Amino acid sequence: MMTTEEGYKMTRNLSLALLCAAVVCMVLPRGVSAHHSTAAEFDTKKPITFTGTIKKVQWMNPHIYTLVEAKNADGVIVVYSVEGSAPNSLFRQGWRMDSLKIGTMVTVSGLRSKNEASFRVGQAKITTADGTRIFAGPAPGHVAAE
Amino acid sequence: MKKAAGLIVTAAVAIAAGTPTALLAQSSSPPPHAATAGTPAGPAPHLSSGKPDLSGLWANPYTPDMAATDTVLDPNTRKPLKLSHATLPDSKPAVVGKGPRTFDLPYTEWGLKRWKAYDPVHNGDYAGSCLPFGMSRNINSPHGLQIVQNDSAIALLFEQNTWFHWVPTNDMKWPADLPLSWNGVSTGHWEGNTLIIETTGFNGYTRLDTAGHPHSKQLKLINTFTRTDARTIVHTVTVHDPKAYTQDWMNVRTWRLRSAPDVIMEYSCEENNLDNLMSGAIKPWKPPQDDDDDN
Repeated sequence: MMTTEEGYKMTRNLSLALLCAAVVCMVLPRGVSAHHSTAAEFDTKKPITFTGTIKKVQWMNPHIYTLVEAKNADGVIVVYSVEGSAPNSLFRQGWRMDSLKIGTMVTVSGLRSKNEASFRVGQAKITTADGTRIFAGPAPGHVAAE
Repeated sequence: MKKAAGLIVTAAVAIAAGTPTALLAQSSSPPPHAATAGTPAGPAPHLSSGKPDLSGLWANPYTPDMAATDTVLDPNTRKPLKLSHATLPDSKPAVVGKGPRTFDLPYTEWGLKRWKAYDPVHNGDYAGSCLPFGMSRNINSPHGLQIVQNDSAIALLFEQNTWFHWVPTNDMKWPADLPLSWNGVSTGHWEGNTLIIETTGFNGYTRLDTAGHPHSKQLKLINTFTRTDARTIVHTVTVHDPKAYTQDWMNVRTWRLRSAPDVIMEYSCEENNLDNLMSGAIKPWKPPQDDDDDN
């Protein structure tokens, strides 16, 4: 949550946020996949990296999906559905449904679905052109309460 | 956010309707425990009866693997259990972490067989199917829980899947012929400043954690809660299941109070898992065919 605590210095908050980010990254390396195995859906032998534009963010439980329009290996424009973390966890880290504007250019790296016909991508890393990682760890400017 | 807060109030009203005492009066006037990090936490609040007040929104540590290194303790000594950690080459791939499963808990033959065989990817995933996780896995979940309490009961409102668990603390007896259930039935009592919740009556369909550590219908889960200061609960969970384990074992964890304006939020598991189930990405769970063998 974007919490401001009275009498709490910004510098300390920032340090705590960074510490929190480190802890979150260690504890939840693949997002909070609380109850289904990513091995069930995504193929570790099918890594994929692509650049495209944001079409939509589906802010849903238990995982958000970011729809990214990009060209596939054959040059055909497709819409990948990129699995993210749990929306409530992301909310507490300062992320919102509109944190990523429609049309933003992003680069995605992750794993393709085992289902050949699916355009889902899991265990994904989404970064903007300036290298900012999206929907992972504390949002830019987010100040953790503890 | 107003909607989420409304849900909590609605839940509290529903809970209060089934109790003889004024639960709302307790839950609507939380103690001033949303203290700032870096400042003294202050003492644990108490109800007017003198019992510790566990009310609040709590961050419980996400525990997908209750047998993680050095976390499995002997309840008698509170020291790590000595286990072989021998690799189990004939086991299914690990659900949590990498590498083969190991002899990481004091399994019986029955328990070891189920530990090695757990395979939600191919045999059906009850959690992915959004069925109840069970008391143990509810508490292990990463999203926290709200506690509301009065002198006769305590309610655990899990953010995970917006589930609740009701625990009478006033010597109320559950009907003896209640059917077995996913989450079991609980009773609570106080020993000094520690609340002890004992839960039995499990249908045996669940696992203790995401990793898939097994339990049987004989499971008695013993959870203790000690509010050591305004912002902290020391929580222990002891697994007593002589069918699955040769001895009792426990975890000890620390819960932290979540500061305002953090609130409990709605969580609908079905929201996009329904699509995963229909597409086949998650294999739907089905009840075991041989009840005696599987539970």
